[in-house]
Amino acid sequence: MARMGVFICWCGANIAETVDCEAVASYAGALPGVTIARSYKYMCSDPGQRLITDAIQEHKLSGVVVASCSPRMHEPTFRMAAASVGLNPYMLEMANIREHCSWVHTNRREATEKAKDLVRILVEKVKRNQPLQEIEVPVTQRVMVIGAGIAGIQAALDVAAAGYEVALVERQPSIGGHMAMLDETFPTLDCSQCILTPRMVEIMQSKNITLHSYSEVEQVDGYVGNFKVKVRHKARSIDMSKCTGCGDCWKYCLARNKISEPSGPAAPEESPAEVAEKVDTLLEKYTDRAGMVIGLLQDVQNEFNYLPQDTLVYLSVKSKIPLSRLYAVARFYNGFSLEPRGKYIIRVCLGTACHLRGGGRIADAVVRELGIEHGETTADKLFTLERVNCLGTCALAPVITVNDKYHGKMTVGKMMKVLEECAREKPEQVGVEEAQIV
Amino acid sequence: MTVATRLANAGDLASLRQKILAGRKSTKIAISVCAGTGCRAQGSMELFEEFQRELQEQNLTDVEVRATGCHGFCEQGPLVVIFPRKIFYRGVKVKDVPRIVEKTIRNNEVVDSLLFKDPATKKKCLLENEVPFYAKQQRIVFRNNGKIDPTQIDDYIAADGYAALAKVLTKMSAEQVIEQVSQAGLRGRGGGGFPTGRKWDICRAQPGDEKYVICNGDEGDPGAFMDRSIMEGDPNSVLEGMTIGAYAIGASRAYIYVRAEYPLAVTNLSIALEQSRSLGLLGENILGSDFSFDVEIVRGAGAFVCGEETALIASVQGDIGSPQQRPPYPAQAGLWGKPTNINNVETWANVPVIIDKGSKWFAGMGTEHSKGTKVFSLVGKVLNTGLVEVPMGTTLREIVYDIGGGIPKKRKFKAVQTGGPSGGCIPESLLDLPVDFEKLTEAGGMMGSGGLIVMDERTCMVDVAKYFLAFLVDESCGKCSPCREGVMQMHSILCRIVQGEGREGDIELLEQLAAYVKESSLCQLGGTAPNPVLSTLRHFRNEYEAHIKDKKCPAGVCTALVEFEVDEELCKGCGLCMRDCPTEAVIGEKKQPHKIDVELCIKCGVCYEDCPFDAVIAK
Repeated sequence: MARMGVFICWCGANIAETVDCEAVASYAGALPGVTIARSYKYMCSDPGQRLITDAIQEHKLSGVVVASCSPRMHEPTFRMAAASVGLNPYMLEMANIREHCSWVHTNRREATEKAKDLVRILVEKVKRNQPLQEIEVPVTQRVMVIGAGIAGIQAALDVAAAGYEVALVERQPSIGGHMAMLDETFPTLDCSQCILTPRMVEIMQSKNITLHSYSEVEQVDGYVGNFKVKVRHKARSIDMSKCTGCGDCWKYCLARNKISEPSGPAAPEESPAEVAEKVDTLLEKYTDRAGMVIGLLQDVQNEFNYLPQDTLVYLSVKSKIPLSRLYAVARFYNGFSLEPRGKYIIRVCLGTACHLRGGGRIADAVVRELGIEHGETTADKLFTLERVNCLGTCALAPVITVNDKYHGKMTVGKMMKVLEECAREKPEQVGVEEAQIV
Repeated sequence: MTVATRLANAGDLASLRQKILAGRKSTKIAISVCAGTGCRAQGSMELFEEFQRELQEQNLTDVEVRATGCHGFCEQGPLVVIFPRKIFYRGVKVKDVPRIVEKTIRNNEVVDSLLFKDPATKKKCLLENEVPFYAKQQRIVFRNNGKIDPTQIDDYIAADGYAALAKVLTKMSAEQVIEQVSQAGLRGRGGGGFPTGRKWDICRAQPGDEKYVICNGDEGDPGAFMDRSIMEGDPNSVLEGMTIGAYAIGASRAYIYVRAEYPLAVTNLSIALEQSRSLGLLGENILGSDFSFDVEIVRGAGAFVCGEETALIASVQGDIGSPQQRPPYPAQAGLWGKPTNINNVETWANVPVIIDKGSKWFAGMGTEHSKGTKVFSLVGKVLNTGLVEVPMGTTLREIVYDIGGGIPKKRKFKAVQTGGPSGGCIPESLLDLPVDFEKLTEAGGMMGSGGLIVMDERTCMVDVAKYFLAFLVDESCGKCSPCREGVMQMHSILCRIVQGEGREGDIELLEQLAAYVKESSLCQLGGTAPNPVLSTLRHFRNEYEAHIKDKKCPAGVCTALVEFEVDEELCKGCGLCMRDCPTEAVIGEKKQPHKIDVELCIKCGVCYEDCPFDAVIAK
């Protein structure tokens, strides 16, 4: 039968102000297996520690729970006190009723209940604890850091500077992680490259760091101080003395596929020559005009119905606008689509006036009827559903457009009719004149 | 029109005007068909063609048919006004055309069934200005909308168009122009309300010869469409305003940035540009002066943040529209790093009238600090929706009840939302508030670009706040963390509240987050993003509490918190809800009270919205 002691600390007003420590102590005293429960102003003080050691000796306690601050503060204090009177230190545990309770709650009644719960849980845990003995094992003085983002890089540098050997593992071909994608950092808007790049260089220059880029951790064995880690270095070159030229790697190469066969839209039906001719015609309008990117992309989209990848590549080469810039613009504005769109582009207005008059229900009805979400196209390439934030015809709310033809004062019933009509009609009859720019 | 007709000086312009006017008799019958986007959506272009065909067939060649800009009363469209008597027909269909030609055009009789009937007094209104919607308005920015054909510069010139420009180029120095605009007290109509004259002066004072003028036509606020109407219906007034502004500032190039969603505005502006260039009202040495100026149209591509001036400049330069830290302000370093002056469409359209009629006349309208008129788009749960131009200082009650005709279906007024996603909701207790820049801000709203969205008892304010935040999450450019992350967190808290999973303390958490986002965002999109939450919390805190504590949505909007039921006494068994119910959850015989099968009901709310007798109730 366990003989437990429970000691509740007030921590001055830190705990006692929010938690009724006396109530917790009397609650704990009544728990099965608890021999003694006391509360005291400062349990970590000398008189407080003496309260514990005296009780251990007097009541021959088999385990102790101290309900006070975080174990990170005073666990060593109380465990040393327990050991000094012969109790195995691992038979003493702490219930954190300060950081986890009194400091984060304001309601005294509820906080007291939570403190009771925490104490009860710890009492049950200590009842099941086994006395532990400390042993010494040799530790390999090497460190592995997994992931070479800015945090991994800094950790590796710090450990290396302290004189230890570091193995830095990164899955990507280059280190830097997300920070390499950022422009500025929060909240000071500092230049993120200015923080990152010097550290990337330092990694390469540090004698204590071995970098395993383009590598992945496959297996971790062992225990603290003696880990065994299996790291797979991915291939990035070919051993020509062994290569038979079978072509299998060419077929399965992910990197090659990423460049030449993107997972995105299929190539348009036109031949490359036709695409080139069309793009050349469009470009003529824009010779030497600053700020032409948006207008140009709008024209390309009008011509091809969306922005096909090979067209953008051709456009970039021809216009000398970097491909990255074309993509940045195409992705930023809602008006551009990188996916092929349907014959009928249905835009459901979700402006405030339309929202109030049930625009959302119209949109839901289309989603239900066509089985596509916003921004998607039906499998038969007939309909694309787009959500717009205001079509500027608020007086006729709720409004939708089908290929730029407006339909006002919509209801779910009228919406269904429009969809049916579209399925019957030819698309040319639905569109209205496209605006021309001078 | 050919280059040969280029006007060499102001005198040429005056004689051209005389020539146009001489060709028009004031007694001549003209049929003006509204060709704004609202009426077009209801078939006004077919109507226009039918009138032309019918008149030709009946050989009535001296009757003119005009496709004009938006008349404003879109709710009742398509609209037709017969000049010179100004007989006002509403909801005109193609089949009505022969009747109108036969009765009104030939015999000067009125087609009674097409007249507007005032729902309050049940009286029919014969003329446009008898319609209560128009009676209380004062149309200055909309002076030409509904009267002239926007694709004919002759019409604009006949209506004293470009007279202000001629006056500026022949009689006024740049300083005098700025002084006139300053004295008139014109403030930016895009929302900020910055004094226009001062803005021009700052830009003028910057060193350098190369300066730019931009017209912000990126009317992104959902619920506002007056700029669209002006660009579509009276594009020359914007061009004239910009030319005058450029003269005052010392700029020679300008851009009009038009939203992607406004194709008709681009078309009509393009036509106006072409026509004014060929008349020499744009281009080199305008009207024989040494002032040269030209305008180019830039189409937007769908990004709300591009209404913010630094983002707009980035977009004109062909970049992604992400805002820049200010200062430097665009007036110091804007487009291509040069001093740039940006005003919105409505502001530019005000400029020619101020020059023409004088600053005193303009300053005579409005309140102490807000002069002139303001165009509002009155939409939402109000009877007469459309565009309304009233003097500053008109009360919200006058706008909503006298002009707007109150709330449909005799429901109760709850609030009016102003200023788009950056603005706020104003409750019934503040309905007598005179509307101007300061008063709206004090009440927790904002002038914004002038959207007035009326909400009734069936509008849930928590849902409205959630709606606006969803909009802002979508439109945040993602550059700064407070806006990108903060607004998203606020939105997710609102989502859980409307799902019935709101927690004690959520309101306080929202307030805390709102304060952070407001303080630390880079541009005004983030800086004003918490406003919808703060203003609804200020005036409708009880609705938030009902959602969180009682798990109820008093307005019956938040589907997770309501159940629909049919009131058997009110239900007439018309079958409307039964027809539209997507899951066939409404059951019952014709002419017998229906019932809703709770098991099948997906709470889409179609029946709740459909019911003409309000017999579907939300519990």
